[in-house]
This record gives sequence, structure tokens and C-alpha cells, in this order.
Amino acid sequence: MWEQIGSNQRKSVILVVAMALLLVVIGYVLGLYFFGNGMGGLIIALVVWAILNLVGYFQGDSILLGMAKAKKISRDDHPRLYNVVEEMKIASGLEKMPDIYIIDDQALNAFATGRDINKAAVAVTSGLLEKLNRDELQGVIGHELAHIKNRDVLLMTMCSILLGTIVILSWYASRVMFFNAMVGGRRTSSSQGGGGAAQLIILAVALLLMILAPIAAQLIYFAVSRKREYLADASSALYTRYPDGLASALEKLGASTCQLKSANKATAPMYIVNPFRKKGMAASDLSSTHPPISERIRILRAMGGASPSEYDRAYQQIHQKGGRGIIPGSAISAAGAISLRAASPAAGKKEPGEMQRKRETSDALWKVNKYRTIDCECGTRLRLPPGFRGNRVRCPHCGRTISV
Amino acid sequence: MICPVCKSDMIVVEYKDIELDHCLDCGGVWFDAGELALMLQSLEIAGHGLCLAEIIKFPEAISSEKKRRCPICGHRMKKTILGKEPGTLIDVCDRGDGLWFDGGELAQLLKHLVKSPGKEQNEPQKIINFLGEVFHAQE
Repeated sequence: MWEQIGSNQRKSVILVVAMALLLVVIGYVLGLYFFGNGMGGLIIALVVWAILNLVGYFQGDSILLGMAKAKKISRDDHPRLYNVVEEMKIASGLEKMPDIYIIDDQALNAFATGRDINKAAVAVTSGLLEKLNRDELQGVIGHELAHIKNRDVLLMTMCSILLGTIVILSWYASRVMFFNAMVGGRRTSSSQGGGGAAQLIILAVALLLMILAPIAAQLIYFAVSRKREYLADASSALYTRYPDGLASALEKLGASTCQLKSANKATAPMYIVNPFRKKGMAASDLSSTHPPISERIRILRAMGGASPSEYDRAYQQIHQKGGRGIIPGSAISAAGAISLRAASPAAGKKEPGEMQRKRETSDALWKVNKYRTIDCECGTRLRLPPGFRGNRVRCPHCGRTISV
Repeated sequence: MICPVCKSDMIVVEYKDIELDHCLDCGGVWFDAGELALMLQSLEIAGHGLCLAEIIKFPEAISSEKKRRCPICGHRMKKTILGKEPGTLIDVCDRGDGLWFDGGELAQLLKHLVKSPGKEQNEPQKIINFLGEVFHAQE
């Protein structure tokens, strides 16, 4: 597992270790401050971390999907989406079909989750299904399955748990400190007249850490997450052999200003594009979880083949710094030169238009939400909520009374 | 979706591939932003997508009617007048989630349409005409 997560990505591993060290240091210093014993604090920090890890490991995906208000669908609910996921599952070489979820939201976004590759899930928003054509959808699903295949989900879950522990510790420590200062401040200062200087230094360090640690951890978290995005883009190009599909999907995602309602800071790196992006935001800074969309598009468009080495070449060409690429050597050597394919032919299976895609998606959502469908003879279709009482309904278009 | 007036679960009426949420208790109709854009798009090729944004900019109507909350985002909606002579008092979500037509307003609008079908071909009139077509049997 580690070999694959960190395959030649020593940097990712170093960043994770740095985050773990940060947790250890903050635990130790807070212990020193509160109990005069560093080990005690360290143990508390590790216990909190262990508990969060257990919760995250066993419940993480269901918590995440629940927070995103994602609804699981089957093959019959949305055949086109199921089909695309199946294609990409085969192309990526995953052994088991991931579960598919739809989020009822007009924003365009998607994410993957699941601690191991045999128990993974991908979630897409309904807006995404409506706005993207088959090639674009394939690119996005390829990107998400690459996150699963590259074990990014596990790495990012571990990182976000480390981040979460640091944030929780600092938050509670600051509350306790404040409370102590209000209630027992005078007593401690009178009982411990001597040793004030040492106490003061520890206090200063603890305060500093409490403010800086969450910020530092967040920056590390973002740095790890940005790296994984490039690799997932490269893998998606490899699976689809059509990088233009993902590029044009990213264009649409970037142009949409609709914000995802159910996203929050901790889950932001899981999505294909940053859900908090605003119009005109300078995307390329330390605190962004994703590389700027425009850059990702330019790299994909500059690709002359579909192999990871070609992605690497395009990346270097865009950055023009020469020197190092972004894709680990193992990924490059694993695949030889792979040619691009043409865009999906318009003939054969007809590509559904936006109206059809919208109806297809809302059909799936009505189904998973257990609405009953009634077709009136006049062509009007009525959908009744699961809580509908009464045994007849009047068609508002033609006035017929239909028994349910 | 929950009716913003009587809080009961609304049914969905799909007509010509456009979905409208309709409350059987109070007769109100919710026209979702996405569906509105699709409807205008299917009627003409150019100039779509701007309509809801335009309606949001309409002047606020003075009315004693109770403020309603958007069934999607839960924020208070703005009252405004759609169409001319006499016009229909509607609620619009200023976050752009959609439009709400009260049951009574809809009935009035339909009666008016039967007497003098709207001839103007601007976008508000198209919305009114479409509603009139869907809720043909509703008087």
C-alpha cells in the first residue's frame, strides 16, 4: 500500500510525516502547559487521533456521502452514468465496481471516496450529469476512479484526520485556557509564585502553536492534495485516451459559478474542482486545494498522446522551468506510448441533448426518492411524493381524474 | 419539494419535458430556475438563460401579502410583478433558485389568459403562456 501511495512521491510522505510531527509537538507542548507533563498531552493527542482514525476508517465514507446528501443509484436508475463508470472501471483495472451516488445539486462537481479500492464510491452532482456529454463525463469519472486506483482517497483521509486532530486539540485547548484565565487564573498565579519565567515561555509557545499549527497543517494538507490532482488528470487521460474530454469538462466546470451547497472545508479536496471557487479568484495560491483549472486544461490540451509520460512532457512544457515533472517515474515506466483516440462518433448511439440529459437525471432522482410516476392520457406526466395520500389525482392539464 | 405556503409535499407535473412543482392543497406552482432556462431554450435559440436574472432585477412590488420563503434555499423571496396589465404578483428567489406563483394568482392569470391570450412575445409573457398551457384545466 505504501509503495503505491508514495511511489516515488517522497514529498507526499515527507509532508504527511511533517503533519504527524506537528501533532506530536502540539500534544507535547499543550501537555506541558496544562499538566506540567508533556507525555500526558502527547498521549491525549494520540488517543484523540486514534479515535478519529477508527471513526474515519470504518465510517468515513458513509459520513462523507451523508454530509454531501448523496443518493445511491443502481444501473436502472441512470444507465448512461452506470455505463460510463463501468467503462472506466475496466480501463483503470479496478477489480470491483464502485458504488455510484448522485448529489441533487445544480453545481458541477464530483468526488470519490472509500478506504480501499474494493469498497469505493464515486459521487457526481445532478448538474454535472445534465451539462456534460459522454466524452466529458468519461473524463471526470476517469479522474475520480484514478483517485481510487492511486489510493489517494486513503492518503487524503489520513491527512484530513491528522488535520482534524490538530484543529480539535488547538480549539479545545484555547477554550480551556480562556476558561482557566477567567476562573482560576488568580489562584494559580498566587500558588505558584516561583518558576514564572518557565511557565511564561511554555504559555507563549503553546499559544503560538495553537494559532499556527492548524494553519500549517492546512497548508500541508493542501499541498498533498494538489499533487494528487495532477496524477489523477494524467491517469484519466490514460484511461480514456481522450484528454480533450476531461479538458472540456473542466472548462464547463470552471465556467459554472454555482457553488455546491453541501461542501465544507474538510471535504473540499475530495471534489474534482474546488467547490468554493469564486469568480475571478486568484486560484494559484498556497491555500488552494486544487491546481488552477486553466492550467490543468492547458496541460491536457497540450498532450500529443495519452500516456502519463506525455502528460509529464506537457506539464513541463507549460511550466517551462525545465527540470522536474509532476508524474512519478513508476507511473511513467508502467505505460508505454499510447495514442489518442478520436472524439466519440456522433453516429451510432445518439448523444442525448441537454433536455434529455436533464430528464434522464431527474428521472433517476425521482426514482431514488421513491416518487410514483403516473402518465396521463394527454401526455402530461405526474409524479407523486412517497407521502401522497388519497387515491385519485386530477390532471391539471386536461382535467381527467386518474386513480392512483 | 415542500410548498412554501401550506408546507405540504408538492407533486411534480411534467409537460413537454418541463417539470413544474404543483401544490394540490393551495394550487401554487414552483418554477425551478433550471426548468425555466430549459423551457425558454426550447422555445428559441438565442437569449436564453438571462430571464431569471432579469426578473430578479424587477422592482419590488408593494404588497400586503405575506413574505414567502424559497423552497430550495429557505431565504425570503422578493415580491414582484410579472407581465403587463394587470400583471401577476409573484415571488422570486433573489439567489436565483426559481419563481413561485400563488394558487390565487395562478387562477387569475389563467382567467385573464382565456379572455385575452397574451400576444407579446417577451420572456415574461412566454412564462405566463406556458403556465396557462400546462394548467389548462385549472380554473
